[in-house]
Amino acid sequence: MTVSTTTQRRGGGYLERPKPSGLADVIEVILDKGLVIDAYVRVSLVGIELLTIDARIVIASVDTYLRFAEATNRLDLYEQGGQSLTEAVGDLQQGGAAKKTSGAISGVKEGVKDVFGGGDDEEKQERRRPAKKASSRRRRENA
Amino acid sequence: MTEAAPIMQDHDTSGLPEGVACYVYGIVPAAWRDVPGDVTGLDDTPVELVVHGEVAAVVGGVTIDRPPGRRAELVAHSRVLDAVADASAVIPVRFGSFMPSVAAVVEELLGPNHDRFTALLADLAGRAQFSIRARYNEAAVLAEVVAEQPEVAHLREITRGLPEEAAYPQRVRLGELVSKTLEAKREADTAIMLDAILPHTVAYHVRAGSDLDHMADVAFLVDVDQRQAFEDAAEAVAEAMHERARLRLLGPMAPYDFVAEE
Repeated sequence: MTVSTTTQRRGGGYLERPKPSGLADVIEVILDKGLVIDAYVRVSLVGIELLTIDARIVIASVDTYLRFAEATNRLDLYEQGGQSLTEAVGDLQQGGAAKKTSGAISGVKEGVKDVFGGGDDEEKQERRRPAKKASSRRRRENA
Repeated sequence: MTEAAPIMQDHDTSGLPEGVACYVYGIVPAAWRDVPGDVTGLDDTPVELVVHGEVAAVVGGVTIDRPPGRRAELVAHSRVLDAVADASAVIPVRFGSFMPSVAAVVEELLGPNHDRFTALLADLAGRAQFSIRARYNEAAVLAEVVAEQPEVAHLREITRGLPEEAAYPQRVRLGELVSKTLEAKREADTAIMLDAILPHTVAYHVRAGSDLDHMADVAFLVDVDQRQAFEDAAEAVAEAMHERARLRLLGPMAPYDFVAEE
């Protein structure tokens, strides 16, 4: 097995093979994963905070809906959908180009990156999840 | 280059210096003693083995008085486990776990769980984790939603171009419909992906997500001799979906998703 040399694309090349060392990937891969020692033995957690990403919690909030609506309205269907789609939905092609919205809705994970010094986007700061809060919740779960 | 790491035998209960604890990276079979000497852990400290019976803990010294986990620590944790996983079966321990002493690692971790760890390591031998991150092309998938759902198209027509405060209920309804339609797409597309890939895997674990572009994050446990077939299947899925989604394959890596107790 080779862990550190998997950058090149193989075969048809549609499958991306990033190096696994990017911070976002590392966070996704290791945070909240692995054997939990304190489930059956005592472990001191002083010093290193355990951060959790609640990405798995799907919050069907009004706020989420409004963001989805905004993204849908920003879409330039004429550019993206081609002829048949344009006919299907009518003449809606005016307006700006389809803008990527991932930056505005990536929320929690970006916040964690901020905690680890990986991001500096001020707009995302309000979405930060306080490290201490996450940590104490984790401890309770495992108590 | 790969000078073997020092080994602390189970009778060695020599205390760590004041204020230093035993950071635990993972558990390996005791028969494997080739921790690469050039792999360093947290604070660039050396990585060592604490052996007990058939199992051993991969540990390192770590100062207790330190700020909350930082980028360098996450990367170090991952670096050690990936280096170990490259050469041995390993049970990754959750990031941020440490114990007060080497003796505690033996008496409270390895001792009480010896048989369970032995069995789990045997099960993980010759296998590695791969993870696939599938993300939609937002514009493409939203265009599908608008085309497939007349009510979405209608609400979009009503709300588009109005100021943010206007048509509030319609906006909420539009977002809700988009969310539900995306959820259905997510399920259907994830099922297609799994149908193609699961025949080449031992186990899998899906992580849910709710971002607009999120299709699926799936961790797979793969037998080494199935790796090529697995990667070929993943490539085929990526090609079939490439106009509306991009797939990223990470790994091989330590089996982070396949060691949690049920």
